[in-house]
Amino acid sequence: MLWRKLLSGASRLLLTWLCAGLFGAALVRLAPGFGADELELDARMNRESIQAIREARGAEGGIVASYWRYLRNAASGDLGMSSSMGRPIAELLGDRLPLTLRSVAFGLTLGWVAGLSMAASTAIFRRSAYDAAAGSLNGLLLCIPSALLAFFLFAVGAPAAVGIAAMVGPRVFRTAHLLFRDSLDLPHVLTAEAKGLGRVRVFSFHLLPPVAPQLIAWLGTSVTLALGTAIPVEVICDSPGIGQLAWKAALGRDLNLLVCLTLILTAFTLTANFLCDVAIAWRGGSRPCRRSGIWRPHSC
Amino acid sequence: MPVTRLPLLALSAYLAWGQWGGELRFCLRSDPKTFDPLAVADDSSETVRYLTGGVLVRVNRKTQQLEPELAESWKVAEGGRKIVFKLRERVLYSEGTPFSAEDVAFTVRRMMDPALHSPTGDSFRSGSGEVRAETLGPHRVSILFPSPIAGLERLFDQVAILSAVSPKAVLGPFVVAEHKAGSHLLLRRNPNYWKKDASGRRLPYLDSVRLDIQQNRDLEQIRFRRGEIHLIDSLDPETFDSLAAEAPASAIDAGPSLDTEMMWFNQVRNAPLPEYKKAWFRSKAFRRAVSESINRDDIARLVYRGHARPAVGPFSPSNRFWFHAGLRPHGFDPAGARRKLEQEGFRLDGAVLRDREGHPVEFSLVTNSGNKTRARIASLLQQDLAKVGIRLNIVPLDFPSLIERINRTFHYEACLLGLVNVDLDPNAQMNVWLSSAANHQWNPNQPSPATPWEAEIDRWMRAQASTLDPKKRKAAFDRVQEIVWEEAPFLYLANRNFLAAISPALRNTAPAAMRPQTFWNVERISFANQISGRR
Repeated sequence: MLWRKLLSGASRLLLTWLCAGLFGAALVRLAPGFGADELELDARMNRESIQAIREARGAEGGIVASYWRYLRNAASGDLGMSSSMGRPIAELLGDRLPLTLRSVAFGLTLGWVAGLSMAASTAIFRRSAYDAAAGSLNGLLLCIPSALLAFFLFAVGAPAAVGIAAMVGPRVFRTAHLLFRDSLDLPHVLTAEAKGLGRVRVFSFHLLPPVAPQLIAWLGTSVTLALGTAIPVEVICDSPGIGQLAWKAALGRDLNLLVCLTLILTAFTLTANFLCDVAIAWRGGSRPCRRSGIWRPHSC
Repeated sequence: MPVTRLPLLALSAYLAWGQWGGELRFCLRSDPKTFDPLAVADDSSETVRYLTGGVLVRVNRKTQQLEPELAESWKVAEGGRKIVFKLRERVLYSEGTPFSAEDVAFTVRRMMDPALHSPTGDSFRSGSGEVRAETLGPHRVSILFPSPIAGLERLFDQVAILSAVSPKAVLGPFVVAEHKAGSHLLLRRNPNYWKKDASGRRLPYLDSVRLDIQQNRDLEQIRFRRGEIHLIDSLDPETFDSLAAEAPASAIDAGPSLDTEMMWFNQVRNAPLPEYKKAWFRSKAFRRAVSESINRDDIARLVYRGHARPAVGPFSPSNRFWFHAGLRPHGFDPAGARRKLEQEGFRLDGAVLRDREGHPVEFSLVTNSGNKTRARIASLLQQDLAKVGIRLNIVPLDFPSLIERINRTFHYEACLLGLVNVDLDPNAQMNVWLSSAANHQWNPNQPSPATPWEAEIDRWMRAQASTLDPKKRKAAFDRVQEIVWEEAPFLYLANRNFLAAISPALRNTAPAAMRPQTFWNVERISFANQISGRR
């Protein structure tokens, strides 16, 4: 049963991935200025050379045809050339992808550890002053635009990953804080507390397990958030990762590169969400049993 | 000589003495698109070419005169069709192979390959037919073009000589040692560089040049202030003033640059615009009236904070030979502009100017987004034109969209952009001035000149290109500048000054108007605090 679910999930994932790539290709092809090259304004270029540049940019054919050609070439290992950077896309990715992955991984870890620990401590200590301070700090971070934050980080010499953590952390805190707060009133938590269990124990065994599926689901979403944040942060911090590459590719209407990046980012997002779904399914969708008020696996 | 002058003399001799070692650091806006010196088209690749490429002749950026480099001498023959170079002997490439006439012939053949579409090669295309490069000995080479090229020898300033045997070997002062895409480029001193200083010691003084890829200009300034980089080319006036207040020794105003800000109206016959608007844009009186409604002094004062001057034509006064000193910028004269418009059938209806058929005079001005200076110029134009009843709508577009509109769909009414002059010679602008050219922006690719004055410009441009006599060429191009001033197809607005930030730690820098303005003499730039005498 689980294998069938996994298989159907994987095929859905593949279809979504292919559609996202096609959608990305269509957006680039239909964007104003597609196929235009700054070289066309170079007064040294004669008419024949300008014509040749235009033909080279226009030779990519229709949306579906060019996408299909791109996938076929990519399947054989040829990711094509970047028209805006004049370099093979595989080389560009090889240079830049590791940096972004490191930043996103570090940013996610830091953001989750910080956000979750703060939310957990509010659920454990339950002091209104601490609650208010944590809420205000996270609210403040939520209000700061990522671009402004990136400027600040650059000025103090912090890495791009800290910017990603600063974007992810407050959102993790907010989600986890709300989930914990709502769960505090659940009958099984009240029963556990009435039986005299310590707050750390109540949190670990009665509060955290029921909200774990929602938190795991949020982990998938936060991967998307982190990848999305990496773009402005890398652009402003001039960090040479794929976020900066995506920005430059968009400005240059670089079809091959943008399709490739769309496919990569979609793959990461879908995989992260898929793994979260698998993790939730594996836990059996555990939630508190409404009838008894005691936390048990879903089957109760 | 009085004894008291001796310390002064010793100090000046010390200051003129180059110091070895050190790493010069500055920023590029983007990764170089190519390391092939013949395919260079973008600024970053151009910088790398300048720092690594050896050329036969070099235009001295300060004096604007041609100087021998890898060619000891040259002779232009057959009325400008042929050039013979006598090459310097005992010159080695960075990898140790000798430089010879065969390398020059190889470079020219490759540059003129039609499949390369090299902007450098395109400047040498004088007519249909083959370019022949022949070696006349190990250190003599002859290049024959199908038609004469005026100012032929100056064009070789842009041609970095390749090696016929080793693709990576260079003849310039530095060699690319490391490239981390999106991060930096490290150039190390070429151990075989042929040039020596006045006392016969090797150049360049610097050990390396690090080019950081930094798109964000604000961050570039922060890094300069922190001392992480030593140069910034083309500062905006606000930053320049703030830097000048903080560290006057670092802020350099080198006077008018070669670049010009200008606007033009779309005069393309089949542009998707209403006919009545096309009629306005084709009217000389309308163009001149708009030009005279613009307060160029205000642009220089408010937008550039005084670091600019009203522009007259395609060349700024920095281009000492080709600038037409007899012309003055169109004066700010709203009353005169109104008179011109009235004579053309326009009338003021309250605060709104209407044409003969009653259409309110209103047009949009496209420009590239993200350029603060142009946004401010556009805003001043809007205010100035409102005073004569013209409503101007500003439309910032990103560059690809802008290029699509001005070069392909022609779906625009007026455009505000800058003309970047990389060459002093008007021949480099043939593709702008000839009515048949693709970069004849106001009405490109004309099968035959649409107006008599465009036919006249074509004639004078061809005349200046077909003679080698500098006086005759100057007279012909002066006539082109006069016609352009009179007909105003381009409304020239301002020549901004070249503003740079140069670390006081650097010595022998001499900013100039021509690109590359700050490091054109890179082989002689050194650090003040390096230990003298190391070889």
